[in-house]
Amino acid sequence: MNNPSTESSGNTPLIEVREVTHAYHNGAGIIPVLRGVSLSVGHEEMAAVMGPSGCGKSTLLSILGLLLIPSQGSYRALGRDLLSLSRSQQAEFRRKFIGFVFQSCNLIENTTVYENLEFPLIYAGVRRSERTPRIRETLARVNLLHRLHHPSNLLSGGEQQRVAVARALVNRPRIILADEPTGQLDREHSQLVMDHFEQLVEEENIAVILVTHDPQVASRCHRVYILEDGVLSVAPKPGTLPPDSSMRCSP
Amino acid sequence: MTKLFDILRVSSRQVLRQRRRYFGVILSIALGTAGLIAVSTMSRDVKKNLNQDLELLGGCTLVKAYFEEFLPDRHQSSRIQRFDPKTVEAVRNSPGVALVSLSGVKRGAASSVWRNRTESFTLFGVDEYFWEVNSFYAASGELFGKPDVQDRQRVCVLGAELAHRIFGENNAVGSVISIDHDIYRVTGILGGLGVGDRTQFAFIPLTSGLDRITGMSSDRLYIRCASWDDVERVAESVSALVSAHQSADRLRIVFAGEQLRRVKRIVWWVEWFIYLSVVATLILGGFGIWNGMMSAVQARTREIGLKKAMGAEDGDILAQFLTEALCLSLGSAAIGIGFGRTIMEVIGKLLSSPPREDLFIRFMIAGLLFALALGIGAGFYPALRASRMEVVKAIRYE
Repeated sequence: MNNPSTESSGNTPLIEVREVTHAYHNGAGIIPVLRGVSLSVGHEEMAAVMGPSGCGKSTLLSILGLLLIPSQGSYRALGRDLLSLSRSQQAEFRRKFIGFVFQSCNLIENTTVYENLEFPLIYAGVRRSERTPRIRETLARVNLLHRLHHPSNLLSGGEQQRVAVARALVNRPRIILADEPTGQLDREHSQLVMDHFEQLVEEENIAVILVTHDPQVASRCHRVYILEDGVLSVAPKPGTLPPDSSMRCSP
Repeated sequence: MTKLFDILRVSSRQVLRQRRRYFGVILSIALGTAGLIAVSTMSRDVKKNLNQDLELLGGCTLVKAYFEEFLPDRHQSSRIQRFDPKTVEAVRNSPGVALVSLSGVKRGAASSVWRNRTESFTLFGVDEYFWEVNSFYAASGELFGKPDVQDRQRVCVLGAELAHRIFGENNAVGSVISIDHDIYRVTGILGGLGVGDRTQFAFIPLTSGLDRITGMSSDRLYIRCASWDDVERVAESVSALVSAHQSADRLRIVFAGEQLRRVKRIVWWVEWFIYLSVVATLILGGFGIWNGMMSAVQARTREIGLKKAMGAEDGDILAQFLTEALCLSLGSAAIGIGFGRTIMEVIGKLLSSPPREDLFIRFMIAGLLFALALGIGAGFYPALRASRMEVVKAIRYE
């Protein structure tokens, strides 16, 4: 796959989604989840997607991460039409340009912190000699270098989430997709994770799209989208967002 | 695609870390492979040892070749045939032959006078191998050996009944008796399960017999085969070997064909059951791999989703799970080879027969190939299932 850096220069958004619709099929019929969703995220931009549970936030994130193919619409990122790629090319795009952070159970069982971070490098074909310095450097950024060979299941919840962030970063992606990355963290660790994201956006010229229920997390993003009934809209200016109970998870 | 070295490293690490979970699978494949190697490699030696034990009951591996004294269509005064030393040497070097004894019997009865009473009996002249070939031992005293044969000593071994007939309750060992007017010292009394009517015979060194006994000729060979599988082949080849060096006129070959067939049938069944149990153990190991990998795929659904999200392709996941299955089967087989080698050494020590390295290498390769086939056969479907997993469903799997 060609390096798209030249294609994505100028004012072209890093990610551009147009009129994406998606529906799930179940025994009872078709359940529409996304109805003509459009969004664009630029370089060095952090965007949040909020909405009630079951509104399709994770589905949207899966589509952005090429884990799911939408029923209709177009999706361009880094200057290329991603929906026209083959399954193998989509996997290649993921390992080169996308880093994922999931809400929980993010780490691979029976592995150490080092091994968790090594997997993306193995898939990307990074040479063994380059892996250790890169893993150490990435772990240092999330203040977890001292846990390098620690079994991942023995870390605290906050540490596990920071390892997940480090794993998403280790391949130096251009896009970070995070599904409720602070959902299981306390306030202090949530702030820490968001600090990392902000730093990345500023220093690494990458885009972060995160799904969150937390208005305080959303308020630190450059742009906030609200997804409701499958329709995506831009929220009021970040920082003025009220702690709306309708955005929170249902118990 | 992931590099081969990384796949091997990650997969073997996974198997090692989950060894407790796979303990049953590892054990069954290891035992199966060990059984395959031990049974296949040592069966010949076990069979050989069993031969010797069965020999005591039926003489299954003994082939007797002799020149008939009279033929119905010939004149009784026809010349006595004897085995030429070159013939004996050729038979001794023939494949499948373990031991050969040359002996002769006196035409007509020999006699002994003891306290004015004359006893008649059959007299054998035998070489030093005769006892071992026939699995005889000394019931008392000792059986004469090579020095006595070489030095043409006048010593004899008596059958127990003959000794009793001549000496009554007195101890015959160490006594002297006359045999056809010569004096012989009794060294021992013959014993052994297969003695039969030889309990009424007397045995002297063949060399002494040829020198001193009229009508004795080295006219019979007792051939002990290496195993019962060799008996028919050896029996068939003796005539040709004799013909190559001398006249085979009047030659007769005798072996226990019916007994041999029965023993072979019994052993065939025993072997068949052993191999069946070995294969059943290995197949159980295969099912263990299949079941283990299926449950691993189920339990590691989220891991598969995460890896695909990191950019792993279907082929990477397939390769990883298939390699794990192969690590499991080949690793277990390697442990089994170690077990098998140990069993071989123990059996070899017990039978005083070192294991055959060529057979060990052959069946070690066979065991590894079987384990390879088992790993691929049992691991492919779970690996394929893992590789085809939908990422979103896998990541959301609880």
